[in-house]
Amino acid sequence: MVVLVVTEPQLSLATGAARNLATTTKSAPQMQGISSRWLLSSLPWVEVGAGTYRVNRRVQYPVGTGQVSFSSEGDAVRVVPPTLAELPLLRGFGDADALSGLAGRFQQRTVSAGDTVVRDGEPADALYLIAHGKVRAVATGKYGHDRVLGVLSDGDHVGDQVLGEGDGSWEFTATAVTQVIVLVLSRQDIAELVDRSPALREQIDGARGGPAQALNKHGEAAIEVASGHDGEFGLPSTFVDYELSPREYELSIAQTVLRVHTRVADLYNEPHDQVEEQLRLTLEALRERQEYELVNNKQFGLLHNVDLKQRVHTRTGPPTPDDLDELLSRRRKTRFFFAHPKAIAAFGRECNKRGINPDPVEVNGRATTAWRGVPLLPCDKIPVTDSGSTSIIALRPGLESQGVIGLRPAKVPDEFQPGTSVRFTGINEKAIISYLVTTYYSAAVLVPDALGVLENVELGR
Amino acid sequence: MQGISSRWLLRLLPWVTVNAGTYRVNRRVSYSVGSGRVSFSTASDTISVVPPTLSELPLLRGFEDVDALSALAGRFQQRDYGPGDVIAQAGESVNELLLIGHGKVNKIGSGKYGHETVLETLADGDFAGDELLAGPDGQWQFTLRAVTQVTVLAVAQPEIAGLTDQADALREHIAGIASSAQAAQNQHGEAAIEVASGHEGEADLPGTFVDYELSPREFELSVAQTVLRVHSRVADLYNEPHNQIEEQLRLTVEALRERQEHELLNNKEFGLLHNADVKQRIHTRTGPPAPDDLDELLSTVWKEPTFFLAHPKAIAAFSREANHLGIYPQGVEVNGNRVPSWRGVPIFPSNKIPISAAGTTSILLVRAGEQNRGVIGLQPTKLPDEYQPGLSVRFMGINEKAIISYLVSAYYSAAILVPDALGILENVELGRHHD
Repeated sequence: MVVLVVTEPQLSLATGAARNLATTTKSAPQMQGISSRWLLSSLPWVEVGAGTYRVNRRVQYPVGTGQVSFSSEGDAVRVVPPTLAELPLLRGFGDADALSGLAGRFQQRTVSAGDTVVRDGEPADALYLIAHGKVRAVATGKYGHDRVLGVLSDGDHVGDQVLGEGDGSWEFTATAVTQVIVLVLSRQDIAELVDRSPALREQIDGARGGPAQALNKHGEAAIEVASGHDGEFGLPSTFVDYELSPREYELSIAQTVLRVHTRVADLYNEPHDQVEEQLRLTLEALRERQEYELVNNKQFGLLHNVDLKQRVHTRTGPPTPDDLDELLSRRRKTRFFFAHPKAIAAFGRECNKRGINPDPVEVNGRATTAWRGVPLLPCDKIPVTDSGSTSIIALRPGLESQGVIGLRPAKVPDEFQPGTSVRFTGINEKAIISYLVTTYYSAAVLVPDALGVLENVELGR
Repeated sequence: MQGISSRWLLRLLPWVTVNAGTYRVNRRVSYSVGSGRVSFSTASDTISVVPPTLSELPLLRGFEDVDALSALAGRFQQRDYGPGDVIAQAGESVNELLLIGHGKVNKIGSGKYGHETVLETLADGDFAGDELLAGPDGQWQFTLRAVTQVTVLAVAQPEIAGLTDQADALREHIAGIASSAQAAQNQHGEAAIEVASGHEGEADLPGTFVDYELSPREFELSVAQTVLRVHSRVADLYNEPHNQIEEQLRLTVEALRERQEHELLNNKEFGLLHNADVKQRIHTRTGPPAPDDLDELLSTVWKEPTFFLAHPKAIAAFSREANHLGIYPQGVEVNGNRVPSWRGVPIFPSNKIPISAAGTTSILLVRAGEQNRGVIGLQPTKLPDEYQPGLSVRFMGINEKAIISYLVSAYYSAAILVPDALGILENVELGRHHD
């Protein structure tokens, strides 16, 4: 390679000087924060006529498999008393004193990884709440081998039947996978408390009776159907009952006021229109926020609207093909996985370790990592905690297939893009033009099994 | 001619035409701390830090007092560690500023359930504990453990304190940066666009504007040139069946194009290898390019990656790793050619990516295109006597020895519109076999 170095006096005009006469080709302003926003592009958007969307469902009698919350001070962990009402037998119980009484009796215990929390066949004599850590529940299979029932984690509980019934024994063995902090409430303590509080006794007796109606396995009021009968059989008559107060989704909002000085807007418009570029980038920022909210908003965000039965924990920590299979088994027609790019890399590592090379699939003309033909789309809005754990979302989109839908208004005044308006709000006395940039959106899960999440996905192992 | 390669990079880059020699990349204003890497000079067994590069430490950003930096550089002590040795332990107080002179170090944090998790791999030129410059406080939030033989340069806290006491300029600079109010910014360090969301009622809305960099980077078209000489007697007579001038020209153009691809990768000003953002450079975990490393690389350019570019030997090394794991990556078809791919992203060969004397190279992952804020090639619009796009052949005259001269020039450059359009896997070791 020859690099010429000029040492002689210059004979002609240099580029630096020539540049002063020439125009520069300019790029449009570039922004790093723009992502692929797969979630926004893959959700089917349903137009809402007047700000509210109501999801009508069949009437449901929730059985309460809710999760309990904890507060911790230093090393001491306490259960938050009102959340005890998430336990099936305490569902809907509002007596704060009795719940605090229960909460105060729990004893904290630490179980090392590999140790047993409860053992198959031993008498069930306590209620266990898992405050932190992972526990694997294993029963005995038909021919005597181990049968893994599932993984329990933070907020789950074991042995809630102890609250109600008399004697009984454990039907599975629960083993700590990691170091686990459990809160234990013994049968004697429960009996004592139930004796003291008639309200608690009433609640438990009532809950044990269970709902009088016949239910299907999803907790919906059954539609009575006869089948396989012979002869002149008395057919059941039935009707489909609906929820009386169905959930309503109001469109949420992301807004900002964009300011441009008239002098900038009037004069500096070649080759790029200044207002247009400002607007373009502001809209990109709004869209990024919109996607963030669709994932994280406490009211309608996907991560906060997952049914408890649709929350799966990783079996060991990193996202393995097995975990995604488990996630897939929870619903029909899963069309997309969404994961943080780092989680996709972690999943890739697990595949590599097993010598598996999943075929990529094409989405909108781009090859993406996929598992069982379901694309694993990157989304950096899914949070990653400081300790490096995150979640993977699986969903079935679409109104027709009773899936997850995005909501946006049918028509807004001064519409710029669907669901987004740009309104001129005036020029102030400093000659600054303002535009109100607004986007309206929400998301609804039509049927709980349309959305699942794999939790406690650990990165970087 | 043997030197002709497939020049995939030139074929794959989308070429944007530049009207008058200069292309400006406008970006949103960014406050990102240009935490780059420190450089070292080696003399036999001793490593010493190059003083001006210390200003890559976030707290020394923009500090130009060479004397103070040299004094600081002089205080570093060299230490060696073997594989598996712990360099810093999580929970212990930070009492040293560490520069990694040579080798690979795992940054290990604690996972949700208390097990170890590798947060990051650090290597040559990375540093840790740099917050110590602002004053002694804090504990290591992570453990540093050597993966290979590692040489570390360390300076202890009392030494730093002694230095900052003497050098007023240094102390003021550090205090200035440490106390400077952080302007609102997004996760990429860009000045935030204020947006309110999810509010109810008559909330005060934030007013906002999108600020641009005041002195954006400009790319001038670079040039590769040569003078082609042909004797008029050759040009006049020996033209059957091949036209002599045409053949001479064809081969010269091939050589220029090869050089152009070399420059697009290696040029210090605009070459892709020299312009990747530090955050987009990752190291191999163990050494050879494993599938895991390419997965990690894909997570740096996760927004619509277009292609990998690797030295043919690196592709072979990657295949060895895949074979070892029992993985058979499917090839994909691009322009009628079957090329290897990983996770559906094609891997193209380029022999212009350098291989160091120690047998290490780099693998690039590129998002190409102007529309999706990727990497673009730059070429002039229309040249006088244009022969091919961006390449002109001009008749210079015939001299008194009857030699005809042609000036052959190619103009080109490349620009990375947004830093996350290019990721580089560094320290890819070749020639590690499993049997």
